[in-house]
This record gives sequence, structure tokens and C-alpha cells, in this order.
Amino acid sequence: MQKIDLVDRDLFNPGHAACPGCQESLALRAILNTIGPDAAAVFPPSCGAVICGPHPYSSLQIPVFQTSLESAAAAASGLRRALNQRGKHDTTVVCFAGDGGTYDIGFQALSSAVERNENILYVCFDNEGYMNTGAQKSSSTPLHASTASTPGGKPSKKKDIIGILAAHGIPYVATAATGHMNDLIAKVEKSLTIEGTRFLAVLVPCLDGWGLPDDSGVSVSRLAVDSGMWPLYEVEQGHRYTLNHDNKTRPVADYLSLQKRYRHLDETQLAEVQAAVDQDWAQLRRRAAESTEARASG
Amino acid sequence: MTAATSPLWSNGSTAVIHTGTWRSATPTHNDLPSPCHQACPVGGQIARWIGQLRDGDVLGAWLTLVEHNPFPSVAGRICHHPCETACNREALDEAISICRLERAIGDRAIAEGWRYPEPTINRSQRIAVIGGGPAGLSVAYQLRRRGYGVTIFESQPALGGLLRYGIPPYRLADDVLDGEIARLLDLGIEARTGETIDADAFARLRAGYDAVYVATGAAKSKRLPSIDPARPWVIDSAAYLAETNAGGQPRTGHRVIVIGGGSAAMDVARTARRHGRDVTVLALEKETQMPAQREEVVEALEEGVQLVDGAMLQSVTEHDNGSLTLHCIRVDFVPGSMRGEFTIEPVAGSEFELSGDAVVPSIGQQADPAPFGGGDGPLLGVDDAFRTGLDNVWAGGDVASMERFVTAAIGMGKDAAEAIDRAMNPGTAAIVDAGDAVPYAAINTYYHPPLARTEAAVRPVAERVMGFDEVQLALDAEAALAEAGRCFSCGTCIYCDNCYLFCPDMAVSRLPDGYAIRTEYCKGCGLCVRECPTGAIQMRAGK
Repeated sequence: MQKIDLVDRDLFNPGHAACPGCQESLALRAILNTIGPDAAAVFPPSCGAVICGPHPYSSLQIPVFQTSLESAAAAASGLRRALNQRGKHDTTVVCFAGDGGTYDIGFQALSSAVERNENILYVCFDNEGYMNTGAQKSSSTPLHASTASTPGGKPSKKKDIIGILAAHGIPYVATAATGHMNDLIAKVEKSLTIEGTRFLAVLVPCLDGWGLPDDSGVSVSRLAVDSGMWPLYEVEQGHRYTLNHDNKTRPVADYLSLQKRYRHLDETQLAEVQAAVDQDWAQLRRRAAESTEARASG
Repeated sequence: MTAATSPLWSNGSTAVIHTGTWRSATPTHNDLPSPCHQACPVGGQIARWIGQLRDGDVLGAWLTLVEHNPFPSVAGRICHHPCETACNREALDEAISICRLERAIGDRAIAEGWRYPEPTINRSQRIAVIGGGPAGLSVAYQLRRRGYGVTIFESQPALGGLLRYGIPPYRLADDVLDGEIARLLDLGIEARTGETIDADAFARLRAGYDAVYVATGAAKSKRLPSIDPARPWVIDSAAYLAETNAGGQPRTGHRVIVIGGGSAAMDVARTARRHGRDVTVLALEKETQMPAQREEVVEALEEGVQLVDGAMLQSVTEHDNGSLTLHCIRVDFVPGSMRGEFTIEPVAGSEFELSGDAVVPSIGQQADPAPFGGGDGPLLGVDDAFRTGLDNVWAGGDVASMERFVTAAIGMGKDAAEAIDRAMNPGTAAIVDAGDAVPYAAINTYYHPPLARTEAAVRPVAERVMGFDEVQLALDAEAALAEAGRCFSCGTCIYCDNCYLFCPDMAVSRLPDGYAIRTEYCKGCGLCVRECPTGAIQMRAGK
């Protein structure tokens, strides 16, 4: 059995207010301890901002700056430059934002930071909705998922944030999931060796918002990967695609049927979701294959 | 360094907030018994020693094995392996090849000359063991390890009992048996071979020793009512195997009919094939009902043994030229609720004949408990602690049980040694196996991807019938390691850190020998239980 390749350096404190079994705090623990103590974090309003701790307590052993929902990437850009001014070029500046603060409200700040190629690591904890405020839909919510603001299911597809950022020519963008911990850790480590803007989208199944048992986050995130709903891949320099888990082994129904937010799904809707996943998967594989060929031909 | 502080800054740690108050159920790390351990006749901590083997600690694995059974090389060859039948992995793909792993470790110990640790204490009490077969050797070993003086009395010229005189060398090579017995005697056990204990000698032993253990086995062949055992063409099954195992070649006619469906019948039939005879086995049971291990039946058929199943001998006609006609009839065999019990219903009009030159009834063995206070009954009666009706006399193995398996006898010896130890020295803690076995549902199979069982090689048939070399071949070290890697380690912590690193609340701490739940922080989500690959953590209700 492969062990989790993580040395916990106690950079994430117990006593935080995340829900039992929270996948976001699990991911945060792995990422913080992989980056190490020489780092500063920016949190826009999100579950993460709550997990950071109520004043005057913090759950992180690194400095945290809490900013507004629109401006995580802008604040991180400023923090980066201020640290550079003080000669702290090696201190990692990391944003921990939710999907609302990334796909929607914080998007213009993110897009312009990537356009300027700010030297920051931007982590999006993607739980596919505004879970902190009562599970409203975001542009990350997948097709047909029910939320407080789309009780009959969301009629539109999940926004392709990876494709959008790749179109910016960002040096490094990748997906990860808590059920594939070593892949997540390896991607954080890789991002630390790259100069410029790096973006990591981590799928964090929301137990309360998706309607899941407290102990199921890790296994559900694996089903997301195995069904192709959340493929694990990376894109370098906007065009070099690598598929990290080239093994779509399960129908999406195996993943969706566990979640209350898909309880209303009929056969037609299920078939639509499956077809969309199959199409995206085929495109992803094509891009990965083209990248392999391009590398082979130099 | 004094950092500038501001009342706006959050300099405290959330560690002061005890989120454990949220919890309604608490995970606990408990090593639970594995199904293989529960099924094992010697209670052999199988998940533990397979784990040690997997970690490269072969010596540690051997030491765990011999806590319970001084014969891993023997058992690894001939055990009926109820452990493999119980294995949780069967529900995923195939059971672990536990016997072959045990054999690999046992053979390594013989090759390396590993010895048992000396007993840490020496006690004044002396125990006499009557019978040097599996049960007697097991009890002697377990008592000697606990410091007792032990003398074994064996009527045959060499120790081993059924292992030496009943199991042919192609299933159990002599050097394996000799190696494991020699190591056991080296602990300081006295062996007096060639001494038969009758009722008078038994009385003297009772007077001269603090306790006596009777393990004389079941050495007498059962009689078949349809034939006269005095006829020259009737061959005693046990005597035949004893002679052939010692290297002899008994004179029999060319066409040998073996009657019986158990392991002994297979042993006789396959031995006779190796002596170039035409062999037919006549069994009451249908092929799939035969009490012999399935692989023995398959191998016998491969070696050219003819099987006539579901049939019974009724009478024999002798001809002047010495040949025989066996008058047989088809029967319906219905097994009873207890091992060895059955009913048969002859099928009217299904009579048929077989021709042969010799008949070997091999329908089981009888014990002779009379000299040891057993009266006329078939067995020496014992209680749960293997104590007979006589003071300070214990018994086990085939003389006291119808459970006719070698490893069952070894297990009875181990259990009796524990009982004798408690009786001789009150205060010795009783050993209890608590709890139900870990079910398949408790195993997170994500961590155990399907992987075919590593099968060991079998000697080609053409070579097999030429001699008595072992049929089942060993797993090499690499294959054994790969097979050990398939084990779920049901209920046994493998220190993988999953519980520690998958906790979102830093509520599991690592200790030098395991893990502890930090109950002040654990919110009771159960993620550690779910992601434990071996089922070694359980949730219990409450704080």
C-alpha cells in the first residue's frame, strides 16, 4: 500500500471551526505543511476564512491576510510586492479562495494577476457552490446539481476555469482532489519550483452542501476522479497537457447517486451529464496526447 | 525576537478551542481478530506474521508462528487451511495463499538454522507425554517453553507419529519433519522412543510425574465388515503407509483397490501408483463430497489413480489364480451433521464388478483409549480444558477427538499446555481471544487493488509418479513477498498513517507503537475509520 507522502509540521492548528470530516480543512492541512513555514496567506470570505479562526485566534501558523471577496489575487499581488521590497523573495504568497471567490466574484482580480504573471500560488478550494452562506449556486456548480438558489437543478454547465486560465498562458495550472493526496502534494511541490502565477483547483466535496455522510469525503472525491467528473490533470504554459490519472473506470451515476444534490435527477438528465463528461474526457485525452506528441517531436 | 503586535491581529491559536465537545461517537484503535486467525486451529495470529513477512522481518514472522505452532514447515505443506476458506480477500478476488507463506517462512528457518529462545524460567514440575505425534510434540514444546521438564514416550522407533508414519514424503519430505522435530528437542525435551505405555506403565507415569498428557493418536485401522482382514490380499492401510514411508516396498498384487475417500486413502493410492501399481479408489462419497482435501483428489487423478465414487463394496470373490472380483453397488451418500457421520442408500439394480489383486481398506483410524482410563468408548473423554476423568491426566489429538486434522491436534496440544500450566501454577493468566472477526465490509478495498493470487508450482505428473519427491513446490522469496502484499491485515494496524494524515482536525497523534485519539479535538466524523485499510479502527457511541 502506498503511504501518504506528507510530513506534518504542525502548521495547521486543531480547534478550527470546520464541519466534521471537512475536506477543505484536510486539503489545507496538506498544502500548508507541504509549502512550509516561510509563507503568507490571503483568504477572501469563504469557508476557509471561517476555518482560519475567530479573532483573536488563528488556525494557521503562518501570517494570514483576510481581504474582500473581489480581491484575493489583487491583495496577494500587493503582498508579493511588499515582501519583495523587504528582500523576502523566497517567501511563498498563497491565496486560499473558494470557488465563489475564484470563478465568480474574485475573477477579474485573478485574471489580471495571471495576465501580469504575479509570482503567487493561487489555491481554489472548489466545493461547487457558496457553501458557507447556505449552499447557493456558483458558476462552478455542475450541470443539474440542486442548490439553494437552483432547487430544481442548475441548467448550465460548470465553468471551465482550467481552460480559461490556460488561455491566459499561465505557467502552471492543475486540478487535485483530497482522495489523491500524494498527487495533491506532488502538485504543490511542483508549483513551488515554478516562477509566476500558479493555480491549483482542489475538489473538496462539501458534506453538508452536497448531502454526504461525514466520513465519505475522501472516497467521494475518488469517485469524482474515477468517473471523469473531476479529472486530475495539469497544463503548463497554457498548452502542455498532462493527464495524471488516465483511468476513467466508473459511470457518473456511481458518483452522483451518493449525493443528495443529485437526488432529483431523471434518466435523461443523468444521460446528459454522462454525455458531457464523456465529451470533456475525450477532449482532455486528445489534448494530452497532442502534448505528448509535441514533446516527442521536440 | 519581539514582534510588533496590534489588537487587530489574531496571535492566539485555535488549539485553545476544544472541538471535541461536538462529538457523539469516538474512533478507537483496537486490533481485532482476523477471520483467518479465528478459523486457525492453532490460533496463529496470521495477519500479524504475514505483516512481518511483508515488512521483510522473516525472523519476526517465524517467531510469531512458533508461538502457536512448532511446525510451520509441516503445517505449510499439509494443513487443511480453514484460514484460506475464511479469508476476507476471497470476497474481492482470491484468498491469500496462507499455507504457502507459512511454508516459505518455516523452510527459511530450517535453512538458516534458527533456534527457539531458551525457556526463561525452569520449573520443578515434570510432565510425561505419551505419544510423539503432532499433539504430543505440540504440548511438549509449549510446556518446555514454559519451563517444565518434559519427557515424551513414543512406541515407534522415531518421533512424529502420523506425520512420519502416515503422510508420504511426496507431501511432507523427511528432512522437513526431522528438522522441525530436532529443533524442538533441542529445547531440552527428553524423548524415549520404542517404549509402549500399557496400563501398568501408565500407572507408574502417573505416580512419577506431576502431570501426564495422553496423545496416542488413532493407530488402528477401522475394519470393513464386507471383507475378512485375515485374508492375505487384505492390506492394512496404516501398516502399508508406515512401511512405504520408511522406504519399503510392500508386496501387493498389481491391481490395488483402495477403499475410502479421505486423505489416508489418497495417500495409499498415490503411494501405490509410485510403486507402479494400477490403482482404483472406491469411495462411498461422490467426488466432491470426499473428505480428502480437494487438491489431493485432483493430484491423485492426474497421477493415474482411477476413481469409482458413490459406490460401496458388498463382497469379494477369490479366484484360483489369486485374482479377485469385487461386487459393488452404487449408493447415494448423504453427509450427517457431524464430521464422519453419514447415511447411504444403495441404488437398486446398480450392481457392478471390479477386478483386482489386493484390497486396502482405508476408511479411517480408531483410537485405543483403554489403557488410559478410557474404558470401551472410541475416545478418551476430555472436558473443555482437555482434562480427562483422572487426576492430573490430560489428553488431546486423535485419541480424544474425532477432528482428525494434524493442525487441530497441534492446537489441542497448545491449549492443553496452557491448561496444564494454569493447573500446575495457579495465577498464570488465561489467554482469551475476545471479539468477533473483522468483516469484509470493514476493509477499505481502495487500498487493496485486485491482484491474482500467487500460485506456487506443482511438480509435473510424469516426474511425480517416478518417485517420492515433493509434489507441491515452494514459493520463492520474491513470490512470497508479493503474496504477503495481498493480505488485508484484517484488524491489525499496519502503521500506514492514514488515520493520522486524513484527519482534518489534527485529532490523531502518532505514538511510537501506534496512534492515539486527541479527544479534546476529535469531532467524530469517522473519516479515520473509513480510510483505515485494515479495519483496525472502530467507532463507538459516546464521547
